[in-house]
Amino acid sequence: MISHRQANAQRIAALDERAEALHLKRGMGIADARAMHPSIDVVEADPEADRRLLESLADWCDRYTPLVAIDAADGLFLDVTGCTHLFGGERAMLDDILSRFFHQGFDVRAGLAATPGAAWAAARFSGDRIVPGGEEEALLAPLPLAALRIEPEIRASLESVGLRTAGAVMAAPRAPLARRFGGSLLLRLDQALGRLDEAVSPRLPVAPLSVERHLAEPIMLTDEIERLVKMLATTLKADLERRGEGARRLALLLFRVDGAVSRIAVGTSRPLREPLLIQKLFHERLAALEQDIDAGYGFDLVRLSVLSAATFDMQQADLTGETRDEGADIALFADRIRARLGHSAVLKPVAVESHLPERAVAMLPYAEAPQRVSAPKQPDKMPGKIQDTRPVLRPERPIRLFRSPEPIEVPATEMPEGPPLNFRWRRALYRVARAEGPERIAPEWWRQAAGQEATRDYFRIEDSDGRRYWLYRQGLYGAAHAAPRWFMHGVFA
Amino acid sequence: MTPLDSSAALWNLLEHNRNNCEWKLTVMATSAVARETVFALRRQIAKIEGTLPERLQAPAGAPVDAPRNPTADVTPHDLTIVRRGLAVAPPDAFLRTGAEALDTALGGGLPKAALSEIHGAATRDAGAVAGFALSLVSLILKQGSRLPVLWIGTAEVFREAGFPYATGLHRLFGIEPEQLLFSEAPRLLDALWTAEEAARMTALAAVVLEIRGSPQRLDLTATRRLHARAQSAGRPVFLLRQAGEAEPTAAPVRLVLSAAPSAPRQTIAGPLAGSIGRPAFTVSIGKSRTALPGQFTLEWNPDERSFEERRTGEERAANPVPVVSASRRGKDPAPASGAVLAFATVGSPAAGDQPSPGERAAHRRPRRAG
Repeated sequence: MISHRQANAQRIAALDERAEALHLKRGMGIADARAMHPSIDVVEADPEADRRLLESLADWCDRYTPLVAIDAADGLFLDVTGCTHLFGGERAMLDDILSRFFHQGFDVRAGLAATPGAAWAAARFSGDRIVPGGEEEALLAPLPLAALRIEPEIRASLESVGLRTAGAVMAAPRAPLARRFGGSLLLRLDQALGRLDEAVSPRLPVAPLSVERHLAEPIMLTDEIERLVKMLATTLKADLERRGEGARRLALLLFRVDGAVSRIAVGTSRPLREPLLIQKLFHERLAALEQDIDAGYGFDLVRLSVLSAATFDMQQADLTGETRDEGADIALFADRIRARLGHSAVLKPVAVESHLPERAVAMLPYAEAPQRVSAPKQPDKMPGKIQDTRPVLRPERPIRLFRSPEPIEVPATEMPEGPPLNFRWRRALYRVARAEGPERIAPEWWRQAAGQEATRDYFRIEDSDGRRYWLYRQGLYGAAHAAPRWFMHGVFA
Repeated sequence: MTPLDSSAALWNLLEHNRNNCEWKLTVMATSAVARETVFALRRQIAKIEGTLPERLQAPAGAPVDAPRNPTADVTPHDLTIVRRGLAVAPPDAFLRTGAEALDTALGGGLPKAALSEIHGAATRDAGAVAGFALSLVSLILKQGSRLPVLWIGTAEVFREAGFPYATGLHRLFGIEPEQLLFSEAPRLLDALWTAEEAARMTALAAVVLEIRGSPQRLDLTATRRLHARAQSAGRPVFLLRQAGEAEPTAAPVRLVLSAAPSAPRQTIAGPLAGSIGRPAFTVSIGKSRTALPGQFTLEWNPDERSFEERRTGEERAANPVPVVSASRRGKDPAPASGAVLAFATVGSPAAGDQPSPGERAAHRRPRRAG
């Protein structure tokens, strides 16, 4: 028996058959139930865990149709339009679903109908029934008002005027109903009867392409999965070729015999359709996830889906029949590293228009970085305009930059605005032999509120051993309230 | 020495030749006689192994002793014979650094298709180590390659030594940001895996693997795998080690890097005292099959993208221009204040005297007391 707190009292939220046999009911207070039967076992409800369980069931139901939606706290909608013939018809499919759930230890009720509303009513009120199209009205007529999926308040007021079954509501004139009970009642009624379309919103986007294989003998080994991936990818290739596309994101779904579903996704930086390369990517991903994938008793359904695709540019081969594209090698390499080590395992620097050193270079994951970066445009040579022919003097920049500048202790500078004489960095003392600077870098006032960050004065420093560093002093002496602080920001060659 | 003894010694040496190059170098350094014997034995080894020996200029003053080695089919002038790998390397297999002495010591330069170790004694030498490796990469790219360079490091090394800064690399080494790829691996194992995968790619110009400390996983086997892949792909792999010990690895060459004080900036009027000029490195050969241990001071020229060797004491001697030119009247205006003086000529009463370019530059440079 499961209890939950409702209106400041512990009440029964759910109960099993044996508790039902003791004439306990939902909504009854725990104290009352205990008084009746002191030996009952009460467990606190955990809605979060229930939701997770329902989601995993929804994942598993993916094997029947990609359109699976979660209904409230205890239901699933499966849009099986066009899928039933794959399982041998509606009845066979329903039996298959029910028997598989039963073997997993779930007691489920199912209904199959032409509209979601009718199926909902059939599942909850008439049990495992298949309602042929057009017979929704006959199904609903004898059922109580709860079968119409309406709010309890509306239900209570309908009952108070003597309308106790769905059939009675259907027989009543529509206009007064709408006026008195609002539009939602008629909406639900029309949806259940198929007069209005009701869309089931699937919880996962439907993959444009997917191929799957049902296995009579469940597989467990990674090698077997990889081989299967290659077979599926070979099937997929034909479809991709027909559409002139390549896969950008792929997902491998492994349905375990006992209902658990593993979803493994890989991304590519270029459209891909070659089965061997797809297999390679999944090889890396599977190797990285080795501990996380529990094969258990094996997988009996493996599906490979293309989550997103992009136009595949065909490469013109030369006379020897070879296409030479070094970028493709790099892209595949980056994809493999990414499949194993994560999204930002391969980074590409991209220059950003900023004079702040840490902002001047953005590190983007390889797949997101622009493939070809055009050189910055030269200003147009306008006739009559005096050209600036002076050489561009660019200040020196370090070759390594610390992610966050490290504070250093500067006991003394030669003069307030000058470079330090010595400094302490990472507990070691450095003597400054030579210094160049300062180079003043002001904060980007157009990006942040004024006064948030102080001006920096950068110095190139060479210590007594010949190592070269990039230090800066944040703030000015005498100008700010606090004394300026010193930071180590980078090292030079 | 009986024939049996000598062959036993030979096999011993053969093993050492394979495993322990430092030992050999020590022997070579101890005495000229021992060196001579080593050369003779090495020729023998080359014959036994059936590889073609390569020739290298004999060190100056090495005695010619052909009659003692009747089996050696060399002319007296090519006394030293060196062996690199199991195959004879073509002449373009070496990356010439451009510094004569270092190239000669390494027997033609750094091997291009190999793993090369570049060590820094402490993490604070990361700038010098990375700078030297990137200058080598720059030399490779200078030959016209448009292929990208992959830099792999563990998260630890990038945190401790700083992340490579693309803007700085472009200015100093001419490596375009588009040519750079970085891989930051959370663990050493992942970094090694990435490096192995990258080392076999021919679509990369070079692979740089940076590792801090002396992890156990970076052993002979791991480096041998890297070396073998680099060899078959024909691309260099630079193994940068910060604060690592000199352990036995499969890399044929190990260089130990430290920063050298830079020469002052060159201006029209001569070197500008107190300024920090081009990057300079002190390179010492930690391990090489061919080289004697030696130390070289190289200076990187970012404009030409080439190395220049610096003779010792050069930067001191070649400084004819005084920091602040002496007063035109012949009298130092402030002799007591120290050697360096800012704004000296501004205060001097030399009417009509224009400050020389050197002086003007001296005004801008940071003021220091000495």
